[in-house]
Amino acid sequence: MMTSWTTHLPVFVVILPLFVGFILPTLARRLRLVENLVIAVEVISFVMAAALAVLLFKQNGSPIPYAMGGWPAPWGIRIIADNLGVLFLLVIAIVGLPIALYTKGNLREEVGGRSRTARFYALYLLLMGALAGMAVTNDLFNVFVLVEVATLSACGLVSAHRNPRAAEAAFNYLILATLGSGLVMGSIGFLYITTGHLNMEFAARELAQVWQHSPHVVWMAASFMLTGFGVKAAMFPLHVWLPDAHSMAPTPGSAVLSGLAVKGYLICLLKILYNVFGQTLMRHFTMHHVLTAAGIAAILAGSILALRQDELKRRLAYSTVAQVGYIILGFGFVNQRGLAGSLFYLASHALIKSTLFLTAGAIISATGKTKVSELAGVGRKMPLTMGAFTVASLGLVGIPLFSGFVGKWHLLLGSFESGNFAAAAVILAGSVFCAAYLFPILRNAYFQETPGENWQDPGMAQRAAFVLLSAAIIFFGILPTPLLTLAQRAAADLLFLQ
Amino acid sequence: MINLILALLSGVVGALLTALIPAKNDRLRTTVVFAALASALIFSWRTALLVFAGAELELTFGLAGLTWRLAPDPLGAMFVLIASTLWLVAGLYSAGYMAGKRNLKSYYSFFLLANSITLGVACAGNLVALYLFYELLTLSTYPLVIHERSAEAVKAGAKYIIYSLSGAGALLAAIVITHALTGHSDFTSVPVLAGQTGKGLNWLLALFIAGFGVKAAIMPLHRWLPEAMVAPTPISALLHAVAVVYSGVYGIIRVVYTVFGPELMSSLTFAKALPWIASFTILVGVMIATRQDVLKKRLAYHTISQLSYILLGAFTLQPLGLSGAMLHMISYSLLKVTLFFCAGIIAEQTGETVVSRMGGVGWSLPKTMAAFGVASLGMVGMLPLNTFWSKYYLMRGGVASGSWPLALVLITSGIINAVCFIPTVVAAFKGESQGRVHLESGSSVSLMLVPTVLLAGISLLIGLWPGLVWDGVQAVVNSFF
Repeated sequence: MMTSWTTHLPVFVVILPLFVGFILPTLARRLRLVENLVIAVEVISFVMAAALAVLLFKQNGSPIPYAMGGWPAPWGIRIIADNLGVLFLLVIAIVGLPIALYTKGNLREEVGGRSRTARFYALYLLLMGALAGMAVTNDLFNVFVLVEVATLSACGLVSAHRNPRAAEAAFNYLILATLGSGLVMGSIGFLYITTGHLNMEFAARELAQVWQHSPHVVWMAASFMLTGFGVKAAMFPLHVWLPDAHSMAPTPGSAVLSGLAVKGYLICLLKILYNVFGQTLMRHFTMHHVLTAAGIAAILAGSILALRQDELKRRLAYSTVAQVGYIILGFGFVNQRGLAGSLFYLASHALIKSTLFLTAGAIISATGKTKVSELAGVGRKMPLTMGAFTVASLGLVGIPLFSGFVGKWHLLLGSFESGNFAAAAVILAGSVFCAAYLFPILRNAYFQETPGENWQDPGMAQRAAFVLLSAAIIFFGILPTPLLTLAQRAAADLLFLQ
Repeated sequence: MINLILALLSGVVGALLTALIPAKNDRLRTTVVFAALASALIFSWRTALLVFAGAELELTFGLAGLTWRLAPDPLGAMFVLIASTLWLVAGLYSAGYMAGKRNLKSYYSFFLLANSITLGVACAGNLVALYLFYELLTLSTYPLVIHERSAEAVKAGAKYIIYSLSGAGALLAAIVITHALTGHSDFTSVPVLAGQTGKGLNWLLALFIAGFGVKAAIMPLHRWLPEAMVAPTPISALLHAVAVVYSGVYGIIRVVYTVFGPELMSSLTFAKALPWIASFTILVGVMIATRQDVLKKRLAYHTISQLSYILLGAFTLQPLGLSGAMLHMISYSLLKVTLFFCAGIIAEQTGETVVSRMGGVGWSLPKTMAAFGVASLGMVGMLPLNTFWSKYYLMRGGVASGSWPLALVLITSGIINAVCFIPTVVAAFKGESQGRVHLESGSSVSLMLVPTVLLAGISLLIGLWPGLVWDGVQAVVNSFF
């Protein structure tokens, strides 16, 4: 039957990378096979995500549920491929494939050793599986498990670099991220005590009725959840681990961490805030104000910190802190336009930041220079790499017809709808800051020269990755409708609008 | 329609070809540049004349989830005519001025690209498209500002980018609010915001004015402009005296007449303050100009002052004032480009950039200084020159709006203008003609001199026969009143 394979898609999309990830270390001697396997997994994931999106559009956005082992909820675990989940699955797939392509043939140089490389790939796939799980999960305890899997594999990715400072960064990350996990765990415990459910829908239904019996416990749960995910998603001022971790990781690691991993935690936070606590409780605990305030602070502080970095990858890492601010800001607007804008921005930033990190990595490994001020003349010598970097920069600044603009437009609509003019001003100021820390790189690269050096664009697979990513940034800038529709429906789901 | 598309594409195609031509092949590059400029000129004129004849050209695209519209109206057509004509003239001047200099490939590529984008600004048919071109204009002219690659140029470039993008940010906020209020932002005969009420509209207007005001160099948003003078002279002349700054001025006129409309404007408190903000910029700008000793800086502050003449005319909300604004848009652009061209010739031929050391320079460069003298008289607003007529209508507009002090502002400014320029011209012909080297021979000088004298001549011609442009001006005015 045709339907039989599509019904299992929501779970396949999670277990495929997990299972393949586990067998990779045994194939360390055949590194080329490992590379091709990873690419194959990414291609299949992309096809599955696309198939889910098509299914979802066919039934006008009503979610695709899947009962694990055939057990119905609340006894069994129910996962749901809804608009939000499929949106994030698509993002993972669209970003994951180019990152996998980028690693082809040049990861060993950065990581060193066959078995180390194979282990890197194993962790990479584990992380991808965990992220896919976050997209479709509908269970609080599963959230915790997936968060742990993601965190530990992310720590592994950071420490994969041979640089000793990477180990230090990974250790810092581990300590803080574990603290975050602890808070999330505590929060889930509080919710379980209060409601007796781990399934999000059931917990939400119960919570709406009983929260007034123990408002302080529920408040604790909410604030633990916010702080826990705040640490993991590098919400300012809990971002201290991020610049080291994201700049020390090997290039594809940085790309996947900044592009996707942070977003996974944000999606979890979003699901729990809106689906479990619901907007009434969020407003009651004034969590939306906390979110907007944190977003504003992150945009301003992250941008200013990014401006002061001379090391290219650190500048990009601080930029992530700022850009996460945009997404959190949208979470705090509690209206459909703002949330849709925030989700679109999340997708757009995933594409843009992974492009920036991958191209930066390619530039650093070709030139051996890590500082912004030393990169004069790169643009002429590595036209394709710098071209992709330029497209991503324009996207991040929010020039029309690049994907970032669409996200910012809807975020602005959302901020005006919620009457938050300060947030709108910060969104716009953030664009100017963004130009201030990215355009000097472009100016150096194109309008200055370093004579004599023979720098070249990387190999075919890497070039293909750059072309794919920049094409996606432009495509979603010009034709955002499919992704935007998903984001708008997801926002409507989160707000329980019809 | 095809004229419009070709007018917009000429520059882009030319820019791409220029970028592909090897850096050493000067001859081929020159051919391509002039072919592109000529084609842009021809198709722009055809488009503009069609628009003046009453044709309705419209192109819409659905991109990025928004509607993008190109639909030139008489106001846009006027800007198209000014921009495309002066672009060719500046191209001619560039051929002389830039001969033998570095980085010609990037210079001409961005020079042509900016042409297309400026025409895009002029032809934009809604706020979203206008915003796109306004933003792209910043990016495409940035490489021209930092053309010298010196530390000073880089600093000026950074200031230019930051100011312009901040302005664009304010503009984007205003556009999003407009969209949220009305659901569209198309420029039609009915103003976009017609029928809206509320005190918030004052703030919206302020956002729009701040957004476009950066490029229109309204004080205190003007600081980028004097610094941008590190660019090569043809760029200062064309972009920082006309094209880029006019895109701001044009945007403000659009906002006043097509987005808000005279009727709604006259009910807003902030709108009443606008003529005075413009007057302040007029007077302070020209006063600072008088104190500048570096000629290009003096011209830059003078630009700031003159742009507000146009704005003042538009802010009066009177048909007479708008006529004056349109006349001044034409007249000022011709004269100012002449002045800059003269400054460039003086700097190239004598190496002198400081006004106080230009005594006697007229004997070496008689034609240049003659053109400079004509343009200076124009800046004062003397009769045989075209600016007399624009000032006359600006004053009438001011009086018609019920504020006679506005006319006084213009008269005062005229006197300060005289102080600003006339002594320089007089000093240039001080001393003896004997023993001076004649510096106006050679092919590159003639390439610079011909457009300079030509523009001064056209200014005189319009001054003597204002009927030449009057029909166009009236078409613009009639489309709004």
